[in-house]
Amino acid sequence: MFVTTPLAGTPTAQQPIAAARRLTFLSGHSTLRGTLSALALALIGLGAAPAPVHAETLLNVSYDPTRELYREFNEVFAKWWTDQGNEAPTIEASHGGSGAQARAVIDGLEAQVVTLALASDIDKIAEAGKLPADWQSKLPHNSSPYTSTIVFLVREGNPKGLKDWGDLVNEGVEVITPNPKTSGGARWNYLAAWAWAEKNGQDPQEFVGKLFKNVPVLDSGARGATTTFAQRGIGDVLLAWENEAYLALKELGEDQFDIVVPSVSVLAEPPVALVEGNIKNDEQRKLADGYLNFLYSPEGQALAYKHFYRAWDDSAANPEDVARFPELELVGIDHFGGWSKAQPEHFGDGGIFDQIYVPK
Amino acid sequence: MRSPLIHRSPMPGLGLSMGITLTMLSLVVLLPIGALLLKGASFGAGNIWETVNRERIWAALFLSFRLSFFAALFNLVFGTLLAWVLVRYRFPGRRILDAAVDLPFALPTAVAGIALTALYAPNGPFGSLAAAVGWKIAYTQWGIFIALIFVGLPFVTRTVQPVVEEIEREVEEASATLGASRFHTLRRVILPMLMPAALTGFALSLARAVGEYGSVIFIAGNIPLKTEIAPLLIVIQLEEFNYDAAAAIGIAMLLISFAILLVINLIQVWSRRRIGYV
Repeated sequence: MFVTTPLAGTPTAQQPIAAARRLTFLSGHSTLRGTLSALALALIGLGAAPAPVHAETLLNVSYDPTRELYREFNEVFAKWWTDQGNEAPTIEASHGGSGAQARAVIDGLEAQVVTLALASDIDKIAEAGKLPADWQSKLPHNSSPYTSTIVFLVREGNPKGLKDWGDLVNEGVEVITPNPKTSGGARWNYLAAWAWAEKNGQDPQEFVGKLFKNVPVLDSGARGATTTFAQRGIGDVLLAWENEAYLALKELGEDQFDIVVPSVSVLAEPPVALVEGNIKNDEQRKLADGYLNFLYSPEGQALAYKHFYRAWDDSAANPEDVARFPELELVGIDHFGGWSKAQPEHFGDGGIFDQIYVPK
Repeated sequence: MRSPLIHRSPMPGLGLSMGITLTMLSLVVLLPIGALLLKGASFGAGNIWETVNRERIWAALFLSFRLSFFAALFNLVFGTLLAWVLVRYRFPGRRILDAAVDLPFALPTAVAGIALTALYAPNGPFGSLAAAVGWKIAYTQWGIFIALIFVGLPFVTRTVQPVVEEIEREVEEASATLGASRFHTLRRVILPMLMPAALTGFALSLARAVGEYGSVIFIAGNIPLKTEIAPLLIVIQLEEFNYDAAAAIGIAMLLISFAILLVINLIQVWSRRRIGYV
């Protein structure tokens, strides 16, 4: 008896079923009319969305670690551009994982300028037809206005005595790096370790495999890995972009971490490009061209040095910013046959990196 | 014009409201799922199977569904208990606690993930206690489990709460006067009434946990075969511009979820029939 008490509050699980049951009876014109009117409403809503086309706007789609660089660069450039007698431009920058940013541009994000971590990401945008295939030859230095390399960030005093890549595979050493499958920077980490093993007579595949066996956490991006190492206290060494490592020292305190420069590392050339397909008119092209060329100007280069990138032209840079970079042997992507070869061979589906984790 | 099959509702406005509902449902739910299935159809069932039938992907799917199931089970028990406490007892701070139940809904999942990681990392307040007894939480499957509990808890509590409110005291009193012990009343009278709602909450909580990415990714450690969740594999495939493989894994998850939700629905139908109200 009491169990038949009707429960008004019984939740809505049965309602969709009831709705579906009712739906099967519906074929009358009243429903059609309803659908049409609702569609019309939706269309009005969409049509009303404004689409402002303003010449003096620029969207720079970039990757994660350039946040601080482009914040300052955009201000300096806007001022310089206005001083040249142009109208004040609106410059926006978007940051995220390099691959995800490339996908966003392919899927329709209206970036006039892309400044990403890997040439292969911009190649993908070119494949989608938004810029010419020979984009990398349009600007000096393979379209890379600044470069960086991979260094070790260790805890203060380097308690585990990590000096070079060979020390990282020792038992009990925990290495923090993001996942090469999701992070452009991590691919450079992997390739740097590979290059060291080659130059020191070790089997590179085995060496890199051992290295990744010492990784307790694989974050999806460079910033996440820095947080895991610096804030969560996980790991003995962080493989990081040189500019990220210096930034971590600056932001988190020089008394907590040390930078260790290995004997061999990579020359990472983050490229920039103008996205032809998203340029609306000549005014905007002029602005985008000016923006990219300013990256190569002495002022632009000085800013890159200031934000811990190894740039090319130090004529206007603060000598202190230039002097902090130690000399080391740098290996470029050409050594691995370019990204078009290295990417599928090492990081593609079933590539060498995937094989590290295949249980024997 | 009038077909005998069309049952006209005496309520006005059915046409318009049904039209709006169908349009919205199509735009928001049916079209994206349809697009996913279409992508899969163009890829081919054989290719989908080949993509999914790999140890690493099975490991991730098994991990995602297993931990989601246990997290939903945990929420089923403690979410129901929480609903009971919030409705039946009066204590200081009850309203604040009641409001706090919704927080996992409101908080961006990334914030939740980072907060949980900070708490349970070996140098965090809870994590350091656990580390003292040699128990690692963050960056292990325990961490994933905790994050999934966090995002799923409100579903059970919020579905069970109104049902508890509707249970009249007379029912329990009648049970007692007929000689039932307190435990017997709970088992034979109260739990059967809560069962359908609790199962709905369980299903929602499970479904949410299976698809959860934002919070888990920070606490998981993401080591292949150990702490790699299925949604991360989809992101990895996208990162390689491999849309087909991403869709294949998505479809596999969709099918498994659908099968599980179907089973839960059948259990609900069965339990309703058994205890008498449909």
